[in-house]
Amino acid sequence: MSKRTDKMVLGINGGALGGHLGGWRHKDSFPNTTMRLDRMIETAVTAERGKFDFMFLADGNGVRQMDKPLLFAANSPSDRPAVFEPVTLFAALAQHTRNIGFVATATTSYEEPFMIARKFASLDHLSGGRAAWNLVTTQYVEDAKNFNRDEHMGREERYERARESLDVVRSLWDSWAEDAFVQDKSTGQFLDPSRVRLTSHRGKHFKVKGPLNVARTPQGHPVVFMAGQSDDGKELAAYGGEGLFGTATGKEEAQAEYADIKSRMPKYGRAPGALKILPGLSIYVGRTSAEADELYEELQSLISPALGVTYLSKIVGMDLSQAPLDGPLPQRPAGQSLGGTAIGRSVLDMAARENLTVRKAYERVLPAMAGNMVKGTPGQVVDFMEDWFRSEACDGFILSVPVQPRSLNSFVELLVPELQRRGLRPDDYVGPTLRENMGLLRPDDPFLHQPSQQIKTGGRS
Amino acid sequence: MMHLATIPNLVGGHLGGWRHKDAFDRSAMNLEAFIDMCQIAERGKLDAVFLADGNGVRDMHRPALFAANHPSARPAFFEPTTLLSAVAMVTKRIGIVATATSTFDAPWMVARRFASMDHISKGRAGWNLVTASNAGDALNFGLPEQSRDDRYARAQEFYEVVVKLWDSWADGAFVQDKATGQYLDPAKVKPIEHEGQYFKVKGPLNITPTQQGRPVVFMAGQSPPGMELAARYADALFGAGTTKQDCIDAYSNIKGRMARYSRSPDTLKILPGVSVFVGRTSTEAEELYEELQSLISPALGVHYLSKMLVHDLEGQPLDGPLPDDLAEETLGGSSLRRYILDMAKRDSLTIRQTYERTLPALGGPVFKGSAVQVADEMEDWWRSKAGDGFTIMAPVQPRGLRDFVDLVVPELQKRGVFRKEYESTTLRGHLGLPEAPSQWQPQPAARGAA
Repeated sequence: MSKRTDKMVLGINGGALGGHLGGWRHKDSFPNTTMRLDRMIETAVTAERGKFDFMFLADGNGVRQMDKPLLFAANSPSDRPAVFEPVTLFAALAQHTRNIGFVATATTSYEEPFMIARKFASLDHLSGGRAAWNLVTTQYVEDAKNFNRDEHMGREERYERARESLDVVRSLWDSWAEDAFVQDKSTGQFLDPSRVRLTSHRGKHFKVKGPLNVARTPQGHPVVFMAGQSDDGKELAAYGGEGLFGTATGKEEAQAEYADIKSRMPKYGRAPGALKILPGLSIYVGRTSAEADELYEELQSLISPALGVTYLSKIVGMDLSQAPLDGPLPQRPAGQSLGGTAIGRSVLDMAARENLTVRKAYERVLPAMAGNMVKGTPGQVVDFMEDWFRSEACDGFILSVPVQPRSLNSFVELLVPELQRRGLRPDDYVGPTLRENMGLLRPDDPFLHQPSQQIKTGGRS
Repeated sequence: MMHLATIPNLVGGHLGGWRHKDAFDRSAMNLEAFIDMCQIAERGKLDAVFLADGNGVRDMHRPALFAANHPSARPAFFEPTTLLSAVAMVTKRIGIVATATSTFDAPWMVARRFASMDHISKGRAGWNLVTASNAGDALNFGLPEQSRDDRYARAQEFYEVVVKLWDSWADGAFVQDKATGQYLDPAKVKPIEHEGQYFKVKGPLNITPTQQGRPVVFMAGQSPPGMELAARYADALFGAGTTKQDCIDAYSNIKGRMARYSRSPDTLKILPGVSVFVGRTSTEAEELYEELQSLISPALGVHYLSKMLVHDLEGQPLDGPLPDDLAEETLGGSSLRRYILDMAKRDSLTIRQTYERTLPALGGPVFKGSAVQVADEMEDWWRSKAGDGFTIMAPVQPRGLRDFVDLVVPELQKRGVFRKEYESTTLRGHLGLPEAPSQWQPQPAARGAA
């Protein structure tokens, strides 16, 4: 194993519902979560107590699964039928915390770059440099129907648009020099007109003149996260991502993905350390392995076969309601075009490889929502995390929290001290900004070497 | 009761306000200063803080004015819904009203941000719907300048979509029953299936109704289509009359239009903007006024007047009249421009006198004097139906708002025309507005009914 000298990056997926499909029903979960600001505050404060680098919130712009009433009524952690808009929420949470970073999702497919640049710059100011934008292109086709469209854009168009949007947003964040706002009462000069620049972008998807009407932010730029599964997504992450929600399952696949993405970076003039690859990881931890197993079993028992099958149907993009529960998981008919998500395809591959029945397949998928999972004592869990980290399968993790608030509390009380003891995590925050805590460089002020200009507006003469 | 909102603009409402010795030393992106202002307003039991907004950096082609900054330029500021969501954490009662434009934003996004802010503040949010009249802002969205009729037609449909989205879910839709495993009741949510001239939005919104049903909607319509839209849909209106008579006329005009939409006049609160220069004595108020006027150089004053009149006055004799072509011009333009031209002509003002009169309130009405004098004027306007209250602007911050709250508010309370304590927890409640109708309750319960 390599001797890594950097620290493991650690974030949590902050949804109050918990990460297991049955999580909200567990006796140790919040009694209710919908539109409960206090739950979100508690989550952020607890995560900050554990010195987590950031709290992450996935997001979408639609109410999903209305065509699957059973699943809709049960609610799944990735559907979010009623939640806060993430940037406004984090602006509020920033007032209750001092160090933890906030990673909010916004889509380039339906939001204007000017609006994205503005709200994240605003959040960065409001939080004193703790904001990150998770750039997504949106996978869920129905969201399109909330934005004057009948159909979702194709992948190629979405990624092309995403890249252009990212360029525009970053250029807008570079509108003002750090010292542009002189605010000199004696001379009457409020700002220096030579310390602001236009974006003047004219591209295929966007025309944006600029400048942005927000001052340069505490971090220079908010941090940019992505979640690349497809080749287009990986390329975009290599081009411009600073945090990547990794979706590889299994250590070997994660290592391959890690090497692949990092190897794409030099051609964009980027050092590999400028992008932190952070797979999702569901953790079932207890003081003893029996306690961890017990939690796991309790959660699995909360899912009826009918719900499990509906959920699996959604993941793989096929209706499995007529398939025998203890028969083999049907494979996609030959010749059918490859639809669905990377996760769906990897579930089908796994089922074929291991001859899984429908029941076994959903039981495997549920605990980690088809991602990575580890279960056991703090020592066992941290062994797993350390191995992945040192084997260059990742630069850290985004932890999925099966039951809220119990699981997050146990992470903070059991896992974090073990990570710190092994020197994988710092004992305290490195600095006030998310960039510092994640070990990311601050982008240069484009006006750094340009002289400033003094203007006297004077008084009555 | 009188209703009071304030614009907690950190640079103050006077062009020279930020340079005054009692002004914040740093106002650009200063969250602490903004929170300070909102807490002062809440101490004064005001109905709401109100944030104007735009989506562009303005006046870059006038470097002297750009460098000096002026109160409506806002070259660098927080995005208002994020800012006010933060403010909601450090205030308890005061309403928070943010501006968003129907011209460049998407109805889904606006519905969502404001509903979110409304939940975060537990029912204190307001949306100030603007159509964005600044042509330059369009260039940040790849759009051509739009005609006023287009903007208002779009605004009307935009509003209708947003309100339908806010009504997506019935109360009690989220059962969250751990025993049965039912998290939500699918019968208590409906898509909106909107298909109109400008928007196609399926819905439902991914957020529930709020403590006040839905956010309060402000508008700022001065043009006939703006007044019509306000009469039809607005809950509150930021008025922009320049004299008492203007405000009385606008008040009766707008309220007169409401009957055709089956609305009672008191379901729309009109709050004209006024600048208050108040002191412990009228001398103190005069002093402040003079101090501020002295901070504006003739060069800057002329630049500013040029901007207001959309006419370059540089090089014209300062102590001569406005150029004839401008003074005689009878074409349209903004009502503020018209007002300044009329005033200059009526009173035979020089260029210098014109800008000196325009500066203190950016052309709007000024109430200046002791607390009693200011309260007299406010009460007179209010009783004359020039407004249901006011949107207060103060020339120097935080001094201006603090003086208003410490001097004028107690005087208004003493006269029994303004609340002594908040009686409600929501902005809708502060403004005395009826419950918002909902598709889930065909007959909205009458307020106060048993």
